[in-house]
Amino acid sequence: MIETVISKVVEELEKIVGRKFVSTNRADLYIYSYDLTFAEPRWPDVVVLPESLDELKAIIGLANREKVPVIPYVAGGNVSGLTIPLQGGILLDLKRMNRIVEVNETDMYAVVEPGVTFGHLKAHLEKHHPTLKYTYAFSPPSTGVMTNALVQGLDNLSFRYGAASHWVSGLEVLLPTGELVKIGSCSASRTWQAIVPFPELDGLFLGWQGTTGLVTKMAVNLWPKPEFNTAITFMPIDLEGAYEILQSIIRTRIPDDLIGTSFTLNKVGVLAYSHQKMPLYPPTKRLPDEPEFVITAELTGNTENELKAKVEAVGEAVRARCAGIKYTGPETVSSTTAAFPMQALGVLSSGGGLMWVGTYGPMSRWLDTVKRGCELQDKYEITRTCYTRIMNEGHFAGLRWMLPYDKGDPDLVKRIEGLCAEQLDLVLETGYIPYKTPVWAVRRLEELVGHDWLKLHRRVKEMLDPNNIMNPGRWGSPK
Amino acid sequence: MVLDELKEWLYGCTHCGTCKYVLNIFTPACPAGERYQLESYFASGKMLIARGIVNGVLDLDDDDIRDRLYACTGCLSCEQQCGVYHHQHIFEVVRALRTEAVTQGALNPAYMVMIESLKKDDNVFGKPKAERGDWAKDLGIPEAVKEKVDAAYHAGCLLSFDPELWEVPRSAIALLKAAGVDAGIMGAEESCCGGRAYEIGYKGEFTKYAEHFLETFSSLGISRVVTSCSDGYSTFKNLYPKVGIEMKFEVLHMVEYLDELMQNGKLKFTKAVPLKVTYHDPCHLGRHLGESGVYEAPRRVLAGLMGVELVEMERNRENAWCCGAGAGVSQADPDLALWTANERLKEARATGAAALVTACPWCERNFKDAAREYGEDIQIYDIAELARRAL
Repeated sequence: MIETVISKVVEELEKIVGRKFVSTNRADLYIYSYDLTFAEPRWPDVVVLPESLDELKAIIGLANREKVPVIPYVAGGNVSGLTIPLQGGILLDLKRMNRIVEVNETDMYAVVEPGVTFGHLKAHLEKHHPTLKYTYAFSPPSTGVMTNALVQGLDNLSFRYGAASHWVSGLEVLLPTGELVKIGSCSASRTWQAIVPFPELDGLFLGWQGTTGLVTKMAVNLWPKPEFNTAITFMPIDLEGAYEILQSIIRTRIPDDLIGTSFTLNKVGVLAYSHQKMPLYPPTKRLPDEPEFVITAELTGNTENELKAKVEAVGEAVRARCAGIKYTGPETVSSTTAAFPMQALGVLSSGGGLMWVGTYGPMSRWLDTVKRGCELQDKYEITRTCYTRIMNEGHFAGLRWMLPYDKGDPDLVKRIEGLCAEQLDLVLETGYIPYKTPVWAVRRLEELVGHDWLKLHRRVKEMLDPNNIMNPGRWGSPK
Repeated sequence: MVLDELKEWLYGCTHCGTCKYVLNIFTPACPAGERYQLESYFASGKMLIARGIVNGVLDLDDDDIRDRLYACTGCLSCEQQCGVYHHQHIFEVVRALRTEAVTQGALNPAYMVMIESLKKDDNVFGKPKAERGDWAKDLGIPEAVKEKVDAAYHAGCLLSFDPELWEVPRSAIALLKAAGVDAGIMGAEESCCGGRAYEIGYKGEFTKYAEHFLETFSSLGISRVVTSCSDGYSTFKNLYPKVGIEMKFEVLHMVEYLDELMQNGKLKFTKAVPLKVTYHDPCHLGRHLGESGVYEAPRRVLAGLMGVELVEMERNRENAWCCGAGAGVSQADPDLALWTANERLKEARATGAAALVTACPWCERNFKDAAREYGEDIQIYDIAELARRAL
């Protein structure tokens, strides 16, 4: 932004939210220019923290009038540069809009504002609605519930229900042009139980990385919290075995959550649990008699007998399909809300950086993709750190290679960049689509999707955001 | 160069935000962040500021950047919540940046008065050194510099010079007397522990006081130093070893000593003190001491007082919310200090307690000021004041 526009915008913002919640201080701009990845830092021109919908409307009105970019932000734990302001502008930190507006026990949903985190929702439910639960992302509790759903995150009920965007049951959206619209049943009634049977306009906003509008309220499904839970693990000696075990569990339709990780990731991760730096470099290799993979199925039951029957059924399914495969298990372990503690992102940190090529793709290409992705890690002398989560009862899989790295080590950063570039080529070849898509992967996908797709995408973006103020430079970006 | 000390920790923080909330209950953990909301006020933001300063992107000459660094109460709650390997070094990074600011001559005016007073009168309040022992004038307690005693009671700057808090050291002396302890005070010869100077970046002044403290008590042949000041206590226990000062005598917080005297039957109470209370864990008596945090002794003391009913706040022990006064915030950013204290008073009131009890004069002072400022209706006591009522 040019100086005179910045001054005018800052002055207006201060009138809207008060001086205390507007900053152009270099420290603030610097902090919001980063995320965990190696995405190039870009500075916003101003940071603003609104508290109410009225303030938000005034800010968006100002930005649209002055054609100033707006970048929505909640927790800062991003992994794809999604809140790095590619073209400067207003960094809209929404953490003060953190009300849990409603929890409907009977219809099992919660309506939340953008600043509500997984931690807040968990604490609220435990205190006021102890028979209900939401899910937990594979990220710290400070992660935003709404942002996780908007970027189609995977969570610890994803085996049952798919990506987080699949369990959104209503939206309130502030369009860049100033209109406030509700989507789903909430548009015509008091309740927010479902998007259907309306035309599914939520698709104009879910997965768009904040480029089409500002979601101001979101309803998400809640679920009954079964009293009994456990987890069972299987450890195959090779990836072929891992695939067979996963397939045998998938077909039972029993688990709440089904995940797999490289054994070496678990091995080095043990140290991180006790606040020690994870020794990923030089690479930790598995020993000949050690397994290649750890597969964990999270199970719940309303009664002890139900849980026991589920454990037995999963074990039996694996035994039946995997008779010729070398593996250990099932071993019963304590149930966790995810494969790592709640502060997973912190635990995974080995130097301020965390990178991955995160994807969703077909189970039919899972084995090939995982094998080649791990071999690429070997090539770059990086510990194998594959992480997979089976989604929507096996209809697709989340797949990535976790790459904690030291941001202060330029040689390592280059190595990680090289690995990610090759892994991106690999996944695109095998049909795995990058999710929470960083801008460099968006540009690659745009080469694949075809002219008509791009035309439609850009037309939608232009219709909703004619001045291209919402997180510009990402999906639907004008050519 | 001080910033060299930081290099190991500059890239540990992923800015994941785990430090912002108390794990599992997800209530706020960081006073400055919670008050100002901008990322730069949270611990993760300060870690990035450190990176920016060391890498030359940000400058300590910027008053607003220094404001962010000084808006930290040093409560260490972020270190308690953080799950990363650098977690025990977050405040160390903030303190090193403060020291660097002092080294560069980028001084905070609010602290210059304090430091001048330290240099002139050995206290942080600009009070004449001669008045340091006034709180004990009529108590008839021996002065350790004049006659040999087993234990020296160290009042600290705040309890020495704040008449509204004199009931705390006077209660402590009454309790020691009741237990038959051969105790004395340093009177006008007592000096600051230097802890505050260390926290605001004046490492030189701090080292001077650490050496002076060691020499004085060693030369008097005192076997035990007892203090009611949690800041002072953690300075003796935690900070002096950092500059190579090794204590040759035992240092106890008054609440630990009370607990010991009650446990071994030397201190007996006869009166009931009918009061529903909640206990505020001072940061310097808890998190600052790591695994040696003094959490159970005060609770045992309160449980041993007839009539006292203790109810816990949601954030307690390692997860206690700070009083807001620490690390120079009450001087540099009094609004933040009082707001933080009032948040705690609201939490205390929510328990149904009629009184908040603590074991640190800085906490007590700040709570009293916040109650006045915000009008929260709750009594505030040091644990020794309650115990004395039971004698």
